[in-house]
Amino acid sequence: MTAGSPRAVPAPALPRVLGPIRPRPRWQELRLLGLVALALATGSLSLGLTVSGTFGLYDPQALAIYLGALFVAHLAQVLAGRRTDQFLFPAVALLGGLSLLLMQRLPQDLVTQTFFGSTLGLAQVQLIWLLLAVTVATTLGIVVRSDSWLRRYKYSWAAAGVGLLLLTFVFGTEINGQRLTLQIGPLSGQQNELLKVILVVFLAGYLAENRALLVEQDTRLGPLRLPPVPYLAPMVAMWAIALGIVVIQRDLGAALLFFGVFLALLYVATGRISLVLVGLVLFILGSALMADLFDHIRVRIEIWLDPFADPLGAGYQVVQALHAFARGGLLGVGLGAGLPEVGGRIPIPEVHTDFPLAALGEELGIVGVIAILGLYLVVVERGLRIGAAAADDFRSLLAVGLALVIGIQAFIIAAGNLKVLPLTGVTLPFISYGGSSLLANALVVGLLLALSDKGVEPPPPPRIGSRWRRLTRRVDA
Amino acid sequence: MMLGALGVRRPLGRTTVHVAIVLSAAFAILASAAGDWGVVRAPELTRSPNDAAVIAASRTVPRGRIFARDGTVLARNKTDKNGEIYRVYANRAISQVVGYASTRYGRAGLERSFDAELSGLAGDSVSDAFAKFGADRYDPNDLTLSLDYDLQRAAVAALGAHRGAVVMLDPRTGEILALASTPTYDASAISDPSTAQGTFTALRGDPARPLLPRATLGRYVPGSVFKIVTAIAGLGSGAIDPTTTYPDQPGAERNGLLVDGFRVRDGHHLMTGSTPLDLTAATEVSCNIYYALTGLSTGGTALVDYAGRMGFGAALPFDLPTAASQLTNGGGPMPGGFSDDVELANAAYGQAETVVTPLQMALVAATIANGGELMQPRLVTSLTGASSGTRTIGPTSMGRVISTANADAIKAAMVQAVEGRLGRQFTTGAKVPGVTTAGKSGTAQLGGTGEPHSWFIGFAPAEDPQIVIAVLVEQAGRGAEVAAPIAGSLMTRYLRRAK
Repeated sequence: MTAGSPRAVPAPALPRVLGPIRPRPRWQELRLLGLVALALATGSLSLGLTVSGTFGLYDPQALAIYLGALFVAHLAQVLAGRRTDQFLFPAVALLGGLSLLLMQRLPQDLVTQTFFGSTLGLAQVQLIWLLLAVTVATTLGIVVRSDSWLRRYKYSWAAAGVGLLLLTFVFGTEINGQRLTLQIGPLSGQQNELLKVILVVFLAGYLAENRALLVEQDTRLGPLRLPPVPYLAPMVAMWAIALGIVVIQRDLGAALLFFGVFLALLYVATGRISLVLVGLVLFILGSALMADLFDHIRVRIEIWLDPFADPLGAGYQVVQALHAFARGGLLGVGLGAGLPEVGGRIPIPEVHTDFPLAALGEELGIVGVIAILGLYLVVVERGLRIGAAAADDFRSLLAVGLALVIGIQAFIIAAGNLKVLPLTGVTLPFISYGGSSLLANALVVGLLLALSDKGVEPPPPPRIGSRWRRLTRRVDA
Repeated sequence: MMLGALGVRRPLGRTTVHVAIVLSAAFAILASAAGDWGVVRAPELTRSPNDAAVIAASRTVPRGRIFARDGTVLARNKTDKNGEIYRVYANRAISQVVGYASTRYGRAGLERSFDAELSGLAGDSVSDAFAKFGADRYDPNDLTLSLDYDLQRAAVAALGAHRGAVVMLDPRTGEILALASTPTYDASAISDPSTAQGTFTALRGDPARPLLPRATLGRYVPGSVFKIVTAIAGLGSGAIDPTTTYPDQPGAERNGLLVDGFRVRDGHHLMTGSTPLDLTAATEVSCNIYYALTGLSTGGTALVDYAGRMGFGAALPFDLPTAASQLTNGGGPMPGGFSDDVELANAAYGQAETVVTPLQMALVAATIANGGELMQPRLVTSLTGASSGTRTIGPTSMGRVISTANADAIKAAMVQAVEGRLGRQFTTGAKVPGVTTAGKSGTAQLGGTGEPHSWFIGFAPAEDPQIVIAVLVEQAGRGAEVAAPIAGSLMTRYLRRAK
């Protein structure tokens, strides 16, 4: 047997010509979207009762626009006739709807933006981002039929990612001691949200190509069996980038997310637990070093260990979030009935970006928190399923990676809210306020939808890393 | 082999499943954390004065009232001309116990520690789960205290212009009858929005620190009253018995006992001469040398251990915040954390780094009065809410500190210290007329030029103790002169009325 794998299907000589598009009903998706509409309408009713005290929907217009957008998106997918996943979109749509309800319920002056002379509040701005996100996800899910633009240019994507990171160094604006926002001219955005998608694309490409080598060859280091040294270099580079993010951007959460996704994908591709363990040890050592060197990280960790040591000072935000979960109890106080304002202010600072789970935990209770966590697991499960069914390693790793980005990010911030991990500044996917976060996660959903359609274009024959080619050539000779 | 491995494309499915399992486990941890904060630890958090709902409610909901033992209203609500609710308190004498509740300056005293109950936010978790669906979310509780309003006012009056504290309690139940700290302040003026700012600013700037509840948060050098702790540890650990005497002691009286180069001195050798003193005799004349030797033979470990059984070393379990009393700063190389024998010997008679709260010293006396078993001190005896009904809080034991026989031996010594021919010279005024009285005076040297603190702890009647008292007067001189007569008059007042 030679370098080609048994799957080396003859590559199609010509780009696939699109056949006539036939609408294909998506009954499962429609049923689930119906349930989503029911759940959100109930939530809006509950909000109306607690806030306005009248029996009626709270801001029915915004809800109608959002639900309308969902059904338009559904219809577009029906008309496009692709065999894409039917569970992913409704699950994400429910999370987005919860976000809308939460933003409607919070004080509207937390965020104000002026567009063309009219000033919009928190919920209105978030609604616009949600609509854009639905558009992005649906469009990608319909239009993307080839993965070569991702597969071929993985190093270009990696370069773009590093470039984005370097831009932060130059143009980044510092907010609360963190350099998370990139501002160039009138455009501003949180580059790490985009970076996480680029990272997955690169890792999927790199690992798919070098998987065989990482699995089969050994360098022995004491009791540990590691892959050949040159193939550890990207791992070390990744580690350095993660720590660089901590140093330059002071963003512990993004570093944790990127490194977590990296280790998870490395394990999926190689099945070698030793690599993950080495990576974890490196990360812990790096974090300990960072904690030793940088005050803001040490403070974060101290707050995490005992927020109640200074409940009115350093630990205030975290303690108030825990109080919110406590007030919510099992069933919650009801949408709109929580977060008692003291002196006209919501008790948890930055609730709309960093603590949406605590706010929902108070109003929907532990039952609601578990439901939300369950929705994330549904999203992850769909992604992993898409990955498992994909036609080749690249698509498989891409889908798994995209799913894990959502799952791990949700875990990191939920854990920060619940004092399981130190609090970090990552957003709760699909729920936190913010355009960068919503659009980047819409990108993830759109790509997953596209990847879930197996019938479009067979993957190109597998490419194998140069070192492996040299090795096998030698054996052949 | 390498090639064979290459030929088979390993599926990604297996490792993907592993990752899915790990992520699900991580999410399960999140769910259990939500359960922990939302159910298990929820009562503690939702009743905390830092909880936003408690703070918000305290501004809008009429708080429950606070009653003294006899039903006197100590704290009630009043509405000012702007419709804002504020608190009115019965008397300055209760300010250090009840505290204040102000929308502007927060809360103190019982108003703070029972904030959630007074605002009506605290119930059991089951009723909490359903209360939030009802129209009336708040069920403000009235508090009934064990505090004897008359005795409390008498205690404050007895302290007069002095800075100090008086703690009186029933040793059989742990019920606090008086908890006076002076100077007092006008809590109503803090809660009244029209006078709050001026009052609070003046109080905070006052060098006499009237906002400090001295009885519970003041930490003072105890001097000779601490000898009772040493006696408890010595007898309890078996290091001494009531008949133990030290051959070195009489000889050392004239020039002091040399401990590692430090001289422990005494002032009573003119009275006792060269007689070796046992527990009773040494307590009667407050012999420093006897107690230093007892401390050394008991050892730091047992001393710290027995003190710990009475609450030393941590905040006391009590309805108000308390400061921790200590024998030593700790961290020393000797057992118990003492730095050397000199520190241990000095601590044994209440000097060195030993500091105590007046409430803690009352508990030491209560241990002896109650035959060696210490009852947990408490102020709130019942809570009553419109919908939750009345909850009564009964007595709780903090455990047996020493045997009844040992407690009785110390009691006999303390009776001698008040009633004995020599003892009464140290404790003039402490005796309750016609009642056998037990006690111990203390003069806490502060070093430098400051006058010593004046202390007295005791109880009466010795045969059937009903009232325990601890009196501290800051920088008032020898124990006999100031603290002992205050204790005597207050115990007399209580016992006469009880009859």
